[in-house]
Amino acid sequence: MSVMTSTTSFAPELRQRRRPSGFAYIAPALLLIALFFIVPIASLLLRSVLEPTPGLSNYAELFGSWTYVRIFANTFLVSALVTLLSVIIGFPVAWLLAIIPNRWGSVLFAIILLSMWTNLLARTYAWMVLLQRTGVINKTLINLGLIDQPLVMVNNLTGVTIGMTYIMLPFIILPLRGVIKDIEPGILQAAALCGATKWQCLWGVLIPLALPGIASGALMVFVMSLGYFVTPALLGGTANMMVAEMIAQFVQSLVNWGMGGAAALVLLVVTLLLYAIQLRLFGVGRIGQEGQ
Amino acid sequence: MLLNFDKLGMWKWVLTGFSVLVALFLLVPILFIVALSFGSSQWLIFPPPGWTLRWYQELLADPRWLESALTSAKIAIIVTLCSVILGLLASFGLTRGRFAGRETLRALFLTPMIMPVVVLAVALYAFFLKIGLNGTLLGFVIAHLILALPFSIISIGNALDSFDRSIEDAAILCGAHPLEAKLRVTLPGIRHGLFAAAIFSFLVSWDEVVVAIFMASPTLQTLPVKIWATLRQDLTPVIAAASTLLVVFTVVLMIVAALLRKGFKS
Amino acid sequence: MTVPFLQIRGIRKEYGAVTAVDDVTLNVEKGEFLTFLGPSGSGKSTTLYILAGFENPTSGDILLEGKTLLQTPSHKRNIGMVFQRYTLFPHLSVGENIAFPLRVRRLPKAEIDEKVRRMLKLVRLEGYEDRMPAKMSGGQQQRVALARALAYDPPVLLMDEPLSALDKKLREEIQYEIRRIHQETSVTILYVTHDQEEALRLSDRIAVFSRGVIDQTGTGPELYANPATRFVAQFIGDSDFLKGVVAATSGGLADIHLGDETVVTGVPVHGKATAGGNAAVMLRPERINLSRTAGTDRAGIAATVNDITFLGNNTHVATVTSANEALSVRLPFGDTAINGLTTGEKVWITWDPATTHAFCD
Repeated sequence: MSVMTSTTSFAPELRQRRRPSGFAYIAPALLLIALFFIVPIASLLLRSVLEPTPGLSNYAELFGSWTYVRIFANTFLVSALVTLLSVIIGFPVAWLLAIIPNRWGSVLFAIILLSMWTNLLARTYAWMVLLQRTGVINKTLINLGLIDQPLVMVNNLTGVTIGMTYIMLPFIILPLRGVIKDIEPGILQAAALCGATKWQCLWGVLIPLALPGIASGALMVFVMSLGYFVTPALLGGTANMMVAEMIAQFVQSLVNWGMGGAAALVLLVVTLLLYAIQLRLFGVGRIGQEGQ
Repeated sequence: MLLNFDKLGMWKWVLTGFSVLVALFLLVPILFIVALSFGSSQWLIFPPPGWTLRWYQELLADPRWLESALTSAKIAIIVTLCSVILGLLASFGLTRGRFAGRETLRALFLTPMIMPVVVLAVALYAFFLKIGLNGTLLGFVIAHLILALPFSIISIGNALDSFDRSIEDAAILCGAHPLEAKLRVTLPGIRHGLFAAAIFSFLVSWDEVVVAIFMASPTLQTLPVKIWATLRQDLTPVIAAASTLLVVFTVVLMIVAALLRKGFKS
Repeated sequence: MTVPFLQIRGIRKEYGAVTAVDDVTLNVEKGEFLTFLGPSGSGKSTTLYILAGFENPTSGDILLEGKTLLQTPSHKRNIGMVFQRYTLFPHLSVGENIAFPLRVRRLPKAEIDEKVRRMLKLVRLEGYEDRMPAKMSGGQQQRVALARALAYDPPVLLMDEPLSALDKKLREEIQYEIRRIHQETSVTILYVTHDQEEALRLSDRIAVFSRGVIDQTGTGPELYANPATRFVAQFIGDSDFLKGVVAATSGGLADIHLGDETVVTGVPVHGKATAGGNAAVMLRPERINLSRTAGTDRAGIAATVNDITFLGNNTHVATVTSANEALSVRLPFGDTAINGLTTGEKVWITWDPATTHAFCD
């Protein structure tokens, strides 16, 4: 065969590294990330300690001013509320979705995916219309005689909470469904055979077994909520602004890059810290695997 | 017992009833805007006093809507292509590479997915102001690519993880050049991951609002920016019409994805 | 003088501080079926992967018909391989899988079709051409993999535990198939397994691997009758070992003390035997006898019966020696020594010293 005769022409280094290290494969992506992710973010954070004068004055102002501290507090409050509601509403649905045997399960699943993948602005727009003073919800409540005056549900905490919970629900239902699906049904049968009532099974077995999934999902929703921009900006009011909108305002309206950078750094540090906790406790396994 | 639907007893109905309510909560707003887009009321009264296609006519009559949709599509398609190619290469390196710091690099590549978009948006806005990429197609593509790449790396990486490398080795021993083996054996073997990466990347770019708001210029804006700008003025039913078209698009995409997945399984 | 068909010359493979393969040297004849037998981590698979070109040896050389293979990348080595896991291309049909190496070689279509047909016939899967791999059993998939690896008439076929994922019955069936295909094609096969029975059933010769080195190479009967190391004795066939002390040596034979008084003379000895040193004497259960009375003509040792198990064509007697070492005896059906034997009984176990082996460290 001609194969054998052509062997001598190969360079000696081919012998040494028949399987390359593979670093070359990630080089293009790494270049992109370095140039358009690390550099811009690093320079934004640098501006927070350099503008207008070098030092920590921006941070002093950020943490010294009641206005800004209140925005941070409000952000945490809304995020916590949204997380709590998402878990309480999401857990039963995830549970049903994990065990439902018939076609209705796929229908429910499709609805969740549809709501998750429908354009964010379209969904937020729907809630703006639904919740407005003359909206369907107010009109229905008045017609039923439950209220006399229309409720104020937009440009305040109520609107933001409803809108955000709506958006976050799929992000807790889908991973939690996976966690519950992975629980061995025999364990619950064993618990029932041991004489546990349904309530005891739920609180003593099912929820503890699902707890890592609940905690992981809750942490993810909380982190996502902290930095959310669109929905709070549209459904919330100026009185309860959240951090992401504040950063945008620093940069766009006030052209104060120093303060914008400082607020961004605080948000980034909190987010990455919680993300690190998430990775530490639950591993990278489930993140991003759900969805389609 | 609690994990067997048929043996839940009364709880079955409680759980089902609750889930139906949640499903309605998730579905009703979407159906609501679809209905309103055909309603004749300027003030979005529901139920609408009459039905009309007026809002769709207005939508199509305004060239800025179509223009922004085309811009969005153009950006999303370029982003999808780049994201799949870069994601494929990076996944090969990350799952098969033998260099130090692979896990750290993987975490770095996934960071844009978990960090607040507004931080990236502000940072890129500042950076692009300096190098003159603001309001340009290239600027949009780069920004969206950063956001889409993690989804590509996860989808393709998972597919590559579950693809047995021995199959590629077998192709090489059969006489295929390593590159040919990758193209003719490994790529078809992970095609479901490639399609998932493409769909995710497209949607990330197509729906992206925050970065786009910062980067848009009067001459170049994406569809979400156009919706955002209109929304800030008033809640005109034209947005309902635009939203309905986006919902239809999402449904079509979901069906295509489901069909493709079925195709891969057989 | 003719050059050996395939020469493995002093192959070494180090991963950092770990030596996976340590100076392996072996000649393989054309058409031979040679098996690398050993436990996992013994270096047998690494050696195979070096032959395939997926690993480079730290030192040493591999020559096929006198020419080195090491400079040739895997895809140009023209070597066939069947893997441990199922490696059919999942998106291609059975026929397309077998045609793959031929298409890569840009052969004319008619020739490819003809070859695919012949290969399917060889592995007895005619009519399966359009089947997708996912719709086939594990055994069928490995047969297709075999057909694919043989389609381009490779001079050497490598098989890396190809049957380990199959259940026992199917495994035996395909072992028979492999044997038949080897005879029909007379391809040179290098086969890796950790299953001694599989190795004995298939191979012309076996190379026993242990901790990166080849302990011994030979035919099955050679390895069984004359194991060179304690490891080979343990790995091929059943064996028990009795602790002893070397009394004297001469010309590869040794006299060995077993316990306090018994001396066995003329035992073939391996390793560095010195008077006064420790030795392990290997006894095979089916090559020793059991009697109620002490004999004088043969070597022997006293023992107590612990357990008697009837196994059809033979009976297994577990005994314990006075030094508290386990010693098994397998008696063929009809052996009169078995009659009336009871647990707890004192017996005398004897053997021909020439059939045993002693191993010194």
